[in-house]
Order: sequence, then C-alpha cells, then structure tokens
Amino acid sequence: MERNGGKGREEEQDGMSVHSPCKAPPSSASSLPKEQSQVELELRLLEALEIYPPVKLKGIHRHFVLYGLMEFLRRSFDRHFSADEVLQLLERFYNLEMLKPDDEETDILNHEEDFSLPQSFFVKEEP
Amino acid sequence: MANSSRDDSPTDGDTSSGDAPPSNSSLYSEGEKILAYHGPRIYEAKVQKAELRKNEWRYFVHYLGWNKNWDEWVGGDRLLKNTEDNIMKQQALDKKQGVDKNTKSGRSAQTKPKSSSDAKAEKEDHKNNVTKGKKRKNDLGAEKDTVSLEKLVKIQIPPTLRKQLVDDWEFIFQQDKLVKLPRSPTVDDILQKYLDYRTKKDGKVTDPVGEVLKGIRCYFDKALPVMLLYKKERKQYQETVVGDVSPSTIYGAEHLLRLFVKLPELLAYVNIEEETQTRLQQKLLDFLKFLQKNHSTFFLSAYDGSKSVEGKGKGKHD
Repeated sequence: MERNGGKGREEEQDGMSVHSPCKAPPSSASSLPKEQSQVELELRLLEALEIYPPVKLKGIHRHFVLYGLMEFLRRSFDRHFSADEVLQLLERFYNLEMLKPDDEETDILNHEEDFSLPQSFFVKEEP
Repeated sequence: MANSSRDDSPTDGDTSSGDAPPSNSSLYSEGEKILAYHGPRIYEAKVQKAELRKNEWRYFVHYLGWNKNWDEWVGGDRLLKNTEDNIMKQQALDKKQGVDKNTKSGRSAQTKPKSSSDAKAEKEDHKNNVTKGKKRKNDLGAEKDTVSLEKLVKIQIPPTLRKQLVDDWEFIFQQDKLVKLPRSPTVDDILQKYLDYRTKKDGKVTDPVGEVLKGIRCYFDKALPVMLLYKKERKQYQETVVGDVSPSTIYGAEHLLRLFVKLPELLAYVNIEEETQTRLQQKLLDFLKFLQKNHSTFFLSAYDGSKSVEGKGKGKHD
C-alpha cells in the first residue's frame, strides 16, 4: 500500500494528477498520508463549491445540488461518495444550519399557476 | 390553503417605486425590481444589494429568470426604473437586436417577475439553439467558462406516458372528472418501489439514485400546489391536503408524471455540470421507464366524477 502511495506522489511530481482514474485504486485514499488526502478532498470540494454554491443546499434544489457535489467528487477521486460523506466534508467549512435558502426559491414558489400540458403532447404521432 | 401567496415573500418586487429610500439618497433600493442594461439589451432585474463606495452607489443585481451566476455589481448608469417609458426602451432594443431574444419579458415586466410560461419560452429558445446564452456571453467577453449555464436538462417522456398525460387531460377537461384522493400507491410509495428495484438490480444501495429521488419528492411537495394542478383540481387540493400533510403522501402517479413536464424548468435554476446533467438525465429516464413498465399498477384507468356539491351535476361516487 505504501508503494501505491509512493507511486502516487512520484507521479504528482511529474505533473500527473493523482486523480487520474487508472492510477488511483479505490483504497489509495487511505494509503496516502492522511493529511495529504484530506487536503486533496478539501481542495476538490472547494473547487466543486464554485459550481454548486453551499447556499443552494438549503432550498428545494438541495438534493440535486448535493448530487452534483457527489458526482464531482466521484469523478475527481474515482470512488463513490455518500451523501453523508459530502455533508460531513462541507461541515468543515460551513455551518450548514445557518445557511438561508436562496431568494430565487421564493420567486418560483410564489408564482402559482395552473398546469398546462404543452401542445406537443397533443400531436398524434405515426404508430 | 397551502397555496403559496405572495404576501410572505420578502423579496417580492412589488415595491418598485423606490421613493424615499432610508438613507444616503440611493436612487434604487434593495429588493427593488428594475431594468438593467446588459450588453446591447435591457433586462428585468432586481437590486439585491446597494452600497456606497467611493462616493458612488453600486448595486448588486440579479437578472430575473437568469442563473445566479450572472449576478453582478453595476453602477447606477446601468440601471433604469421600471417604468412604461423604460419598458418601451427595452422593447425597442429587442427589436433592434432581432428575434432571438425572448420578447415576453416586455409583457411580464408589468406583472410578475417571471411566470412559468415565460420560463418555458425562454428555455425553449435554448432548447433549439443556445443562442441567447451564447449571445450574452459574447456581449460581455469573459464569463464563467467552467460551468455550463442556461442549459436545459432534456427529459424525453416515453410514448405511453405521453399518452397518459393526454388521457389525464381528457379525464379532467372532457369528462369533468378528478383523480380520486388519496391515491394508492402514493408518490412516496412509487419512489420507494423504484429505489427497491434499483437496489436489487445494482446489487447495492446507490446513494446518487437515493439523492435524486429525494430531490424529486422535494420538488413534488413544493411544486404541486404551485404548478402541477389544473384549475379544477384546486378545490380538491384545499380540501384534502390540510395541515402538515405532504402531497407526496396523497397524490400518485398521475400528478408525479406532470412534475416531469415541469422538471426541466425547475432544474434550470440549478447550475449543473454538463457531464453530471447527462447522468442525471439517464437516471430520470430510467425512472420514467420504470413508471411506464408498471403503468397498469401505478396509474388510474378511470377518474372520479366530481364530488363537490356545486359540482357539474355528476356527483358519482365510485
């Protein structure tokens, strides 16, 4: 396992990302020195948050935002991240309870309108 | 009853006159709905924040109907009061620029900041060609490249379910009937069944699927009274969904399916990477196929005559 870790570090020096899928078997995260892999995780998470802002974790879209974060990390580290794991990582940086939902949400939810089925559904298709 | 009202919205843009701001004579106040120049056009926007910097007022604006990533600090020179004159200015610029801008914004400026049909029209423009988004990008030059903005998650509803939605419409409008509530299986039941099905198929619990399903339930509960009911169904909703009851424990496949018609619009508010969008699309499609496969178990083959006393005279109970 140490060899894997060592290899990972060497390749990093060569400018190759330790995150390339074929180089990092699922358990490599634990084989790297804890500090380094933790830092990697946090850096990636912060990167992800540029796309998926924490404030959106409070509104109606929160599950899809969380899903986006899970996917981002999964692609970065080539392993599955559970929702809980991602939330725990986030807790390092944000007090999620203190976040207030977006204004946008009240925009959507305050505009009640009747459902209407788009015209395209009524066009008969050839059997 | 549980219908959302505009009264509670702290961000409602109705106070758009902007008279007598509290301090320092800022021309525009926080929360005010205004018009803003952006590139060669004028857009509906809202002042999120107002700050005095170096003796100049700066406003952080949000363009209504546009992703938050477009929010920016601008000077007063970029802003216009939301008046008839300025709206005409906006329309004039639209004409000048050509037809690829959503012209509905002219009409909606008078009433709500954004309605679903406007969103639909906006998004439909995107569906066909992402010109609007692209055009704006070019207007400004450098923008966020790392994220894909204004791209709709396309959801292709399978043929049987498309027909189901038409049948649904016919039951309501041509036969003057309603879905009998409470339903069984409920939306919650269906989502759980799907999760079970997927878990079995994948041989393990899949967290991403679980999260997506939670997202769907969350949308359903919030969106049902806001955008998933036909007018005729509102009374029934008010009578049935009382107190803390969540719609996902009352309604079933019929209304869940309507959510999928609206889902692209809802998801448009979330900035999702292209790759993730594709995966999400696949998951949603898989769910729809599951609905289709279990069509006879999940969907009603007939609806109920209206039970209400002032009903249309049918009054059939079963």
